[in-house]
Amino acid sequence: MKLSKMKKKNNKVKYILISIISFTVFLIIWYMVTDVFKLVKPISLPSPVKVLESFINKFTVKRPDGSTLQAHVLSSLRIVLTGYIAGSIVGVPLGIFMAWNRKADMFIRPVFDWFRSVPGMGWIPVMILIFGINIASKAAIVFAISFVAILINSYSGIKNTNPVHMWVAQTFGASNKQLLFRVAIPSALPHIFTGLRQGLNQAWASVVAAEMIGSNRGLGYMIQMNRENSRADLIIVGMLSIGLVGTILSFVLQKFEDKYVRGRH
Amino acid sequence: MATSNNIKKKKTKPAIISEDQITKKQSTLYAFISFAVVVVLWQLAVLFLPNFGNIFPGPYDVVALMIKIVKEPVGRLTLFAHLGWTLKRIFIGYIIGAVIGVITGLAMGTSKLANAIISPVFEILRPIPAIAWVPMAILWFGLGEASKYFIIGFSTFVICALNSIAGARATSEKLKGAARMLGASERQLFSKIILPSSVPQIFAGLQISLSASCSTILAAEMVRSEEGAGWLILRGMNTGNMTLVLVGLIVISVTGLILATVMRAIERKAISWSFRGK
Repeated sequence: MKLSKMKKKNNKVKYILISIISFTVFLIIWYMVTDVFKLVKPISLPSPVKVLESFINKFTVKRPDGSTLQAHVLSSLRIVLTGYIAGSIVGVPLGIFMAWNRKADMFIRPVFDWFRSVPGMGWIPVMILIFGINIASKAAIVFAISFVAILINSYSGIKNTNPVHMWVAQTFGASNKQLLFRVAIPSALPHIFTGLRQGLNQAWASVVAAEMIGSNRGLGYMIQMNRENSRADLIIVGMLSIGLVGTILSFVLQKFEDKYVRGRH
Repeated sequence: MATSNNIKKKKTKPAIISEDQITKKQSTLYAFISFAVVVVLWQLAVLFLPNFGNIFPGPYDVVALMIKIVKEPVGRLTLFAHLGWTLKRIFIGYIIGAVIGVITGLAMGTSKLANAIISPVFEILRPIPAIAWVPMAILWFGLGEASKYFIIGFSTFVICALNSIAGARATSEKLKGAARMLGASERQLFSKIILPSSVPQIFAGLQISLSASCSTILAAEMVRSEEGAGWLILRGMNTGNMTLVLVGLIVISVTGLILATVMRAIERKAISWSFRGK
């Protein structure tokens, strides 16, 4: 037993080492191609050193896109959280209601099916034409996109409640309300959280898209402006920040899920 | 009469455990009714609410414009020619992305070594949404078609890779152990056990990424283009023409639905033995 455990641990260390080496090799190749042999023009791929430098500088330097990195991040975050929280407040209860109530299911669902087949990015022009280019339109875009993902998953979570659990509860005389709050919703929570996570990812992508189309701040605006200024280093900084913030957001949500969803695996 | 009685009785029970499920005929009927109600309400709102029609054109205008641009060109092309461009971009980008994604995913899911090598870079690239690649794609591939294929390809690649990894990792350890015990080589293990058991998950990835492509195409056509359904929408936005935006959205949505149905049919044919194929 002990021996095999040790072997497993050794293997793990081995693979982590390989990962580190692989990443280092990747950076070295990147450095070689750009700085040492100059195979590509810095305008299309700047060297990793330059990207790191720009990243550190971007915290204090406002040029050339008018804001520091943290100002861009905060501006994007504010929009995404506004729309997303609104989307979940409406989406989760509506999804549960649609799955629970037969009439709602029959009448709302077809309309909703129609509504959800609209590709996510498609909401951007619609909202911009209705609200104009401002924070309201971006929050509305985020709302629409996260709302769809959240509603679908809450709906299917309730629909997938194990009927046996429902029968047992009924046999013991549970009222409809108890059936919903004690059986159906708790067992649907993992699905609901899947929806919340999907919604958050899509919301984050959509806010970047919306900022690229029309804005004066935010990470999407930052990468768009720097393309016009041909500052590839800052585009890469912006892209990496978008990825990083997205990862942090889903990580936080995952922590919430681990804390509040019991009995999962 | 029997059905109305049933519905009355079911009022006291939640939908998920009621014994009589909605029949197909019923659900089609309700779908049709609610669809009709929405369209009528929409048209009425346009007719009677002042200003509503200026912001949000009615169904009549949308259908009229759609019929009009089947014959008359918008920009350079008519509706179906625009659609053709969009489909071409989706297909080329999608196929490149899917092939690379499935191969990468299977490699990462099967071999720990491959996973250790690829995952650091993959994990950095994965959370970056496809739209954020637009500026870089333009710098690398210019304003032509290649950058559009790249954007669609990237979004497909990530989704297919993630699903293939999950599929390969979900292969039952018991099956793998049994095959090893019976003397299967590593190559046989892959082709006879791991690959078949991850096929349903791979198809799930192919399906999801195809739907995602219909959304990503808008991002791709933001790269300077003069044709395509996504371009119709962007053009509508830039000229303040909501009717054109809605026409474009309907065209893309219907295309997406058709593509998803076709993919589903292929899946059913290809993996009829699996639970997903049923």
